[in-house]
Amino acid sequence: MSDDNDFLRVTDVSKWYGDEKVLEDVSFEMDRGDVTVLIGPSGSGKSTMLRCVNRLAEAQEGSILLDGEEVLSPDLDVDELRREVGMVFQGFNLFAHLTAVGNVALGPRRVLGLSETEARERAEAQLERVGLGEQFDSYPAELSGGQQQRVGIARALAMEPKLMLFDEPTSALDPELIGEVLEVMHGLVDEGMTMLVVTHEMSFAREVADEIVFLDDGRVVERGPPEQLFDRPEEERTGRFLERIASHD
Amino acid sequence: MASATRPAAVRERVADADRSVGRLLLVAAGALFWGWLVVSWVNRWLGGVIVPVGQPLVPPGAVEATFGAIPGLAAYAADAAFVVELTPELSRGTWLTVVITAVSLFVGFLMAVPLAVSRVYGRFSAWISLGYTELLRGTPLLAQLFVLYYGLNLASYVPGAFSGVFARDVVWVAIVGFTLNGAAYQAEYIRGALESVEEGQITAGRAIGLSKLETIYYVVLPQGLRYAIPSWTNEFVYLIKYSSLAAFITVPELYYRADQIASETFRYTLIFVVTGVTYLALVLTASKLMEGVEDRVAIPGLGAEREE
Repeated sequence: MSDDNDFLRVTDVSKWYGDEKVLEDVSFEMDRGDVTVLIGPSGSGKSTMLRCVNRLAEAQEGSILLDGEEVLSPDLDVDELRREVGMVFQGFNLFAHLTAVGNVALGPRRVLGLSETEARERAEAQLERVGLGEQFDSYPAELSGGQQQRVGIARALAMEPKLMLFDEPTSALDPELIGEVLEVMHGLVDEGMTMLVVTHEMSFAREVADEIVFLDDGRVVERGPPEQLFDRPEEERTGRFLERIASHD
Repeated sequence: MASATRPAAVRERVADADRSVGRLLLVAAGALFWGWLVVSWVNRWLGGVIVPVGQPLVPPGAVEATFGAIPGLAAYAADAAFVVELTPELSRGTWLTVVITAVSLFVGFLMAVPLAVSRVYGRFSAWISLGYTELLRGTPLLAQLFVLYYGLNLASYVPGAFSGVFARDVVWVAIVGFTLNGAAYQAEYIRGALESVEEGQITAGRAIGLSKLETIYYVVLPQGLRYAIPSWTNEFVYLIKYSSLAAFITVPELYYRADQIASETFRYTLIFVVTGVTYLALVLTASKLMEGVEDRVAIPGLGAEREE
């Protein structure tokens, strides 16, 4: 099953909240090392789709194969899955009672079972990696939004995930702080990290994405490489969405 | 009006000085109170190394003479001597009050945390927790003590390891009663605090692969318990005072001893004023202690910072 061509295969995923269908037959695939960016208007289901991949949201229909394993299987150990899939949140969600190092070390210490020292070393290394070598012992409230989000990324990376999910990682940031987060994400792309990203940062998407998936109303309207999707969209809705986004920039 | 004409800096310095004088007086009173108590207890435990057991630390006669010599205080000389005479009995009673409160609060806390967690995050266990909390909070504490003492005759079932720790096993009945009751109240305070922990904290915990229980233990509780400290302190303070109900099941704690001396001497006002001041000193100690704890465990940005 797990050949390199279908590292992540999402097939006909549907999800309802009550009577409301928020995802309808969503399908896309990713290779190892790919960067796929989900775009679409708010409420289009892109964040929900992302959360289905690590089971923070439950899809009712369809299949999500990660490295050959069915993510939606009721027998799957979700904690095991989440160990291997890192997630970065729009609102950072840093553990408010822990320092930067404490935030990053918690997973390695308590989930992976590393010793206190090993976990701390790993946390420090990850914080260095996102450029926060000076902020080891700062609490979240003492960090800027951009710094907090970089801690959030380090926290996910410390688990050595095989897939990283980014849920609008820059949407809650002041414009001048967006750059530092995107820079860290660029670095991850260069290192070959497999990334599934929900974002409104179209220039970032154009630069790094292997594929763009445009969702609207819970459906995939159009997908393809950025040049095609941005420059020659086949669907009218895609074009209108991109125009609206562009006029906001 | 006079102060309004002074420069702000001067006003501030005067206020600072007032505050530090107040603090100094409070510390001095606290030191006298606890010094007297602890020395009395040690004297009793060591079989009267300082003064014979049952005697006040300072001879009442000397107190009376000192007061008598100071104009203006002379009228209170006899009362002062009488109060000093009470101190051995009252300090004995205070020991039990302190121990009963401390043990009940501690064991009650160990019960309250799982009760609160069940209530907030459990399914079936939430109902059990709710039932327990409502039953214990909804019935009079005195009735609960009576059920334990008269109804269940708990005093005669005290296990060997515990029996004899106190002069009378009924002390354990009081501790059980206050523990069960206090746990319900503490659980309510802690529940409220847990509910104020942001949902995103749990999501983040689950997202790195912590189980639900692990997330509660490593993420929710460290935050929630910090939030809970100010309101939880209420329960600490209440329990100090409610522990006086133990007198009604014959536990010889502070209130019991005060009541006994009063009914022998008929000096009700004086005795209960002194007893009241003793409870007040315990309560102030508890709230100062918890303020200290709150400061010690404070984390930048977590919870409302208390105003200085």
